[in-house]
Amino acid sequence: MITIFTRLVILLAAIILLVSCASPAVTANPRTMTFPPLQFEVPRSERVVLGNGMVVYMLEDHELPIVSMTAYVRVGSIYEPADKVGLAGLTGAVMRSGGTRDTPPEKLDAELEFMASHIESGIGADSGNLSMTTLTKNLDRTLELYGQVLMTPAFREDRVKLAINTSVEALRRENDDPKGVADRELNKALYAGHPLGRHPTIATVKNIGRVDMEAFHRRYYHPNSVILAISGDFRKDELLKRLTATFGSWAKKEVDFPRIDEPSTRVKPEILFVRKDVSQSVIRMGEMGIDKNNPDMYALRVMNYILGGGFTSRLTQEIRSNQGLAYNVESEVNVGQRFIGTIADETETKSESTVRTVTLLRNIIAGMAAAPVTDQELSLAKDAIINSFIFGFTKPEVVVGQQARLEFYGYPPGYLEKYRDNIARVTKDDVLRVAHTYLHPNAAVLVVVGNDKQFDKPLSTFGPVREIKLEIGK
Amino acid sequence: MNALQRFFFLSILLLILVPPCFGAGLADKVREHTLNNGLKLLMVERHTSPTVAAWIRFKVGSVDERSDERGLAHLLEHMLFKGTTTLGTTDYAAEKPLLDKIEETAQEMMAEQAKREKGDAKRIGELKKELDRLEAEAEKYVVKEEFSVIYSRNGGAGYNAFTAKDGTTYLINIPSNKLELWAAIESDRMQNAVLREFYTERDVVAEERRRSSEAEPMGRLWETFQAAEFMAHPYGQPTIGWMSDISFLSRAKAEAFLHKYYAPNNAIVAIVGDIDPEATIALVERYFGNIPPKTPVGPVETVEPPQAGEKRVEVMGDAEPQLLIAFHKPAIAHPDDYVFDVIDMLLSEGRTSRLYKKLVVEQQLATEVGTFTGPGSRYPNLFVIEATPRAPHTAAEVEKAIEAELERLKTEPVTDRELQQILNTLEYEEYRQMSSNGGLARNLTEYEAVTGSWRYLIEHRQKVAKVTPADVVRVAQKYLVEENRAVGFIMKKEGAQQ
Repeated sequence: MITIFTRLVILLAAIILLVSCASPAVTANPRTMTFPPLQFEVPRSERVVLGNGMVVYMLEDHELPIVSMTAYVRVGSIYEPADKVGLAGLTGAVMRSGGTRDTPPEKLDAELEFMASHIESGIGADSGNLSMTTLTKNLDRTLELYGQVLMTPAFREDRVKLAINTSVEALRRENDDPKGVADRELNKALYAGHPLGRHPTIATVKNIGRVDMEAFHRRYYHPNSVILAISGDFRKDELLKRLTATFGSWAKKEVDFPRIDEPSTRVKPEILFVRKDVSQSVIRMGEMGIDKNNPDMYALRVMNYILGGGFTSRLTQEIRSNQGLAYNVESEVNVGQRFIGTIADETETKSESTVRTVTLLRNIIAGMAAAPVTDQELSLAKDAIINSFIFGFTKPEVVVGQQARLEFYGYPPGYLEKYRDNIARVTKDDVLRVAHTYLHPNAAVLVVVGNDKQFDKPLSTFGPVREIKLEIGK
Repeated sequence: MNALQRFFFLSILLLILVPPCFGAGLADKVREHTLNNGLKLLMVERHTSPTVAAWIRFKVGSVDERSDERGLAHLLEHMLFKGTTTLGTTDYAAEKPLLDKIEETAQEMMAEQAKREKGDAKRIGELKKELDRLEAEAEKYVVKEEFSVIYSRNGGAGYNAFTAKDGTTYLINIPSNKLELWAAIESDRMQNAVLREFYTERDVVAEERRRSSEAEPMGRLWETFQAAEFMAHPYGQPTIGWMSDISFLSRAKAEAFLHKYYAPNNAIVAIVGDIDPEATIALVERYFGNIPPKTPVGPVETVEPPQAGEKRVEVMGDAEPQLLIAFHKPAIAHPDDYVFDVIDMLLSEGRTSRLYKKLVVEQQLATEVGTFTGPGSRYPNLFVIEATPRAPHTAAEVEKAIEAELERLKTEPVTDRELQQILNTLEYEEYRQMSSNGGLARNLTEYEAVTGSWRYLIEHRQKVAKVTPADVVRVAQKYLVEENRAVGFIMKKEGAQQ
């Protein structure tokens, strides 16, 4: 009779046998490996609207004792007056650095930093952000201070002056970085005549005062203009009570937004040159693209992946890998969330190969519109975009922030859920068509920053050149 | 006590012993496993999303290069994206003789180039042409960027690598159902790498050098400053290499470096994310277990001699003034290094830090001020202060104001509240680092490599908590002194654009 013990020994022997059969190790070929499907649904957060119109997105996650929060506010540098360019950015900064009605800046800094809590504020082109992170144990007090910064910033005079002085110094230094110079000049040329193409100068910044900041805040910061995204270690019902206590008495007010025209959809083709004594030329090219409501977005994303979207792209393979002309070369389709965005290309190469590299860049871009992409290129681009989609959802604060921004910018319902299917539907013909429609490498804006004495050929090879003379802070 | 009672008793005990889930710090979450060949595997299970960060750190960096190898660790890192005997090629057997011919031609060309003006220019020209022709011919066997293509197709994100003084790291984020793909590619890369397209990639690195060190005024200052601070120790040489070093690096040198050091006993792997640790150990054993160990990376023998007096470094550039001040200090995990961590945070962590309050807010001499440790941490290194003067104030004025704050450290004991704030900040940071698979994988591999154990991450706050006000005074008096100081400036070149 076989005892239980014997049976166990036999079983063990069988397992050992199986294991030793499996040696030497069985390894798979990366070219042909297949995988079980990945189970993944876009995570959902909860949406609540407070009595005063403030929208709140919440996603509980108790892995770590931390709470994160970001407010998206309908404000932006597009609304600042032309003679006070820089006002929005400065208002955003001084909301935090200038203290609040109840808490002077020194006390605000000391209290927050002792708790290891962070509150940061900023205003970009078309949105304001106020973010906060805190250990759960300090949530109550941090939230109170957060509410003060959002609703009752004091813009204390000495902190206003400090922010302006800091900003002037940054403008004085802007031309030190050749890449920064090229990016700035490209943006100014692409959005010429539009608020998105404006850039602060020392004069416009010095024209800004405390009253301007206070008025800017008063005009745009109202609860009905705010979407809050909160994630982390909290209980929804308790948090809602605290939010109501903090923001409940903040009165709703309709905001009178200035009318902002749409940017022009066509650029004036130009070759811009900035002289700088460096061994490597900075090359930037750009033209106008699309906004998020344009159905060509999916085809353009696929097209861009093939052209210059990663290590496997045509630009990187030819300019970097085959010819060793650059370390960095890429193209990007900036899909405008509010206004039309841009399509831009960038690279840097030694002075002696400047014209050669620009020529290559133009030819490779033109190639996208000249013939259909290969089946392999198309499937790689689509697989890469679809299979890496999941990396947009690896942190709760990113998930909840993304959902808040979809509402903030007015994306259609189901945008995220349908994203992968929309990419999957793109065909070779679509890619060819959008390349033909949107890419005009010989009629784009070209910016080169470098030492023209060392160029392989004059830039005028490409046509008339307009030189931009650098002046500090202008 | 009957069984049921025992069960209840045990449950209660567990409730008492097991802290609430987030109370479980890193110490309870990290799973360690060492393979027989020396490969160290560190894992953390996190199921926030079905993704995994996989980092491989080799304990070999630019500090381990000889003088004729400067830039090699970094160039090799680029070359390890070029494939293996089976990936990145259509037919390695046919490709190999061509690669050998390329190497022969390149060696001959470099031997001639090394003679500088005495070299035979005509012969160099011919050899360069021949090299280009051969490289173009070899291209017909190349499957371009095949690692990248396979990873991308499978949704891999952030596929990259970086080289530092102390080590070299290869990383990727991958959907968790495809972890085996990572194991298959990376174990192949560890054993069978082929450094094809070498001389074109060397040109890419030259462009990288122009981009990061030559065209960036601050990059240039930092490079010059390090070289001045380390006369003997290899921390003084730029990780990317000087331009002339790069132009004499060969595939033969890179292969020798690769075959010497790239081995499981010099590697640390961190896998963080949606994993089953048992299955992951089995996977790593299966793919990496048979790789033989090689030469362990030995310690650098050279010791930087004590500084004999203050050093001053000036770099002229088409840029506004910048200031660096540095002091030599001990390596990571030395008792005084924890005191430096306190000094670092006192001086520049946040808006309440001493330098920010004094220089940026009160005196408004500078618009930015920061402190950091560099250029590496495995060996004695530098405590560095950087500042951006605000016109019309000069770098000299800023230097004086910083000096006054350093003097204060030597005479005035820090307050308990300041020390408590530092501990509070470290507590928050301990949790925050656990919020990202990649961030955690980075910290685990980094500290395992430079201190010998990832546990440095948990012991660090306990060590800092033991630092006393008297320690700060003692360390400041010992290290922050004139003969141990170096000062670096960017000065605007005469005639540069206004």
